[in-house]
Amino acid sequence: MNERMIHRHTRLSIFMHWFNAFCWFALLLTGLGLIKNEQLNPVGAWFPSLMRSLFGGGENLLMVHQYLGLIWAGAFLAYVLFKRRETWAFLKEVFTVSPASDMLWLVKMNLKMTMGRKGLQRFGLTPDMPPQGFYNFGQKLFAQASVVGGVVIVVTGLVMFFSTISMDNPGPAAWSRVIHYLTVGVVFAGLLVHIFMAAISREERPAFMSMFTGNVSEHYARHHHPLWHAQVATEKDKDD
Amino acid sequence: MKKYAMVIDSSVCIDCKACMASCKVQNNVPRGYWRNWIKHTIPDFSKGPLTRTHFQPGGCMQCDNPTCVQACPSGATYKDPQNGIVHVNEALCIGCGNCIKACPYDARFRHPDKRVPDKCDFCFSSGRLERGLLPACVDTCPTKARVFGDLSDPDSDVSRLLRDKPAVRVLAKGGIDTKPNMYYVAATAPTDWAGEVEFPGAFTVMATLVNPVVKVAVGLSALGVAVMWAKQIFSPDKEESEHESSAPGKD
Repeated sequence: MNERMIHRHTRLSIFMHWFNAFCWFALLLTGLGLIKNEQLNPVGAWFPSLMRSLFGGGENLLMVHQYLGLIWAGAFLAYVLFKRRETWAFLKEVFTVSPASDMLWLVKMNLKMTMGRKGLQRFGLTPDMPPQGFYNFGQKLFAQASVVGGVVIVVTGLVMFFSTISMDNPGPAAWSRVIHYLTVGVVFAGLLVHIFMAAISREERPAFMSMFTGNVSEHYARHHHPLWHAQVATEKDKDD
Repeated sequence: MKKYAMVIDSSVCIDCKACMASCKVQNNVPRGYWRNWIKHTIPDFSKGPLTRTHFQPGGCMQCDNPTCVQACPSGATYKDPQNGIVHVNEALCIGCGNCIKACPYDARFRHPDKRVPDKCDFCFSSGRLERGLLPACVDTCPTKARVFGDLSDPDSDVSRLLRDKPAVRVLAKGGIDTKPNMYYVAATAPTDWAGEVEFPGAFTVMATLVNPVVKVAVGLSALGVAVMWAKQIFSPDKEESEHESSAPGKD
């Protein structure tokens, strides 16, 4: 590895990413374990039974789910409060899209990932991809879903948490659970693609490694995130 | 395994409401709420001295087909396989109110302080059954209208009563038989007061709409991942892998 590396993620971002990943995984499993009703549990009653055995009862499972959820939300709240500039920059980055070229990128990426270059040719498309910034459009879509979904999940979770503490009307808790479940389901659908792209697909392996080291090779940056690479290069020139 | 039930001779009920009062004391039922009840017919005073009112003691019927349990997403309300009692696990309940709506007998209420459902459990949680005592309402009934016992024991009072005499049950409207374990000896009135089993909107939407949507979304996503994975394994783009491995050298 004698190639020049470009700094991509701070230590704090890396920590937040893996903290988020751990919380998501744990909250998903404990949450799924809370749905004991066979009409509602998507995987069947064996899973909640197993989780209840592991945690020593549904009430313990609920407690772990609730307090881990609060810790998860609290950590992100702290990040937003103490890292306002970084949060704003992140939100601006992931919610800024250029519809025409990004949609083309999405179509091409789907064809490339499932049918390869031949697939692109079959539809009369060139193998080059519309240039992407710090995040590509797929990463942006998943980040948007995570941000919006995260807010919805936390708000509905808080409604359910406070239902037996201070709420006199049961309706909000009942509907919050429906929205909570739906949102988690949709974000989880995206999460499958996110995990595949990062950890399994060969193309994005350097991005996966950067979630540990914080750096990507200049070659990767130039080929996968050319707009970001150009930006970094000009900043570098200015510094020099 | 026990199967607790109540067999009631409503013809001897004198509407003294001692069962309701003793239940309230035993279970600390909050002011304005009741775990059990005495229903009555509307007297027809045109009959003069022959005017009659029929009183009917009741409470949670600990159904064998408990729609309250079916409406509970988390299993916080459940039917105890050991004794047939429908319990509420207050620590697991988030107070969504599904079960309260799903009970056609209106046997549940939302506890105003605990904000979780409260209902008759044959005095199980008060510890009376453990100590060999009858439920408070049965113990206190001066005319012995309420009889409590184990249906799976052929020598219990409830088994003998049901063997010796015909019995009726008050059923929900709308065709869903919740299979209540509260029997009325010979006949009773009123019998038309139970409502329909009503699954709340939040439950129905989750079961019939949101759950399929989530399954399809996750399924399609998993399918996409499977296709991408298969493509990577079985027909990787040649140039792509060369380009990756030879890349550092080129720069």
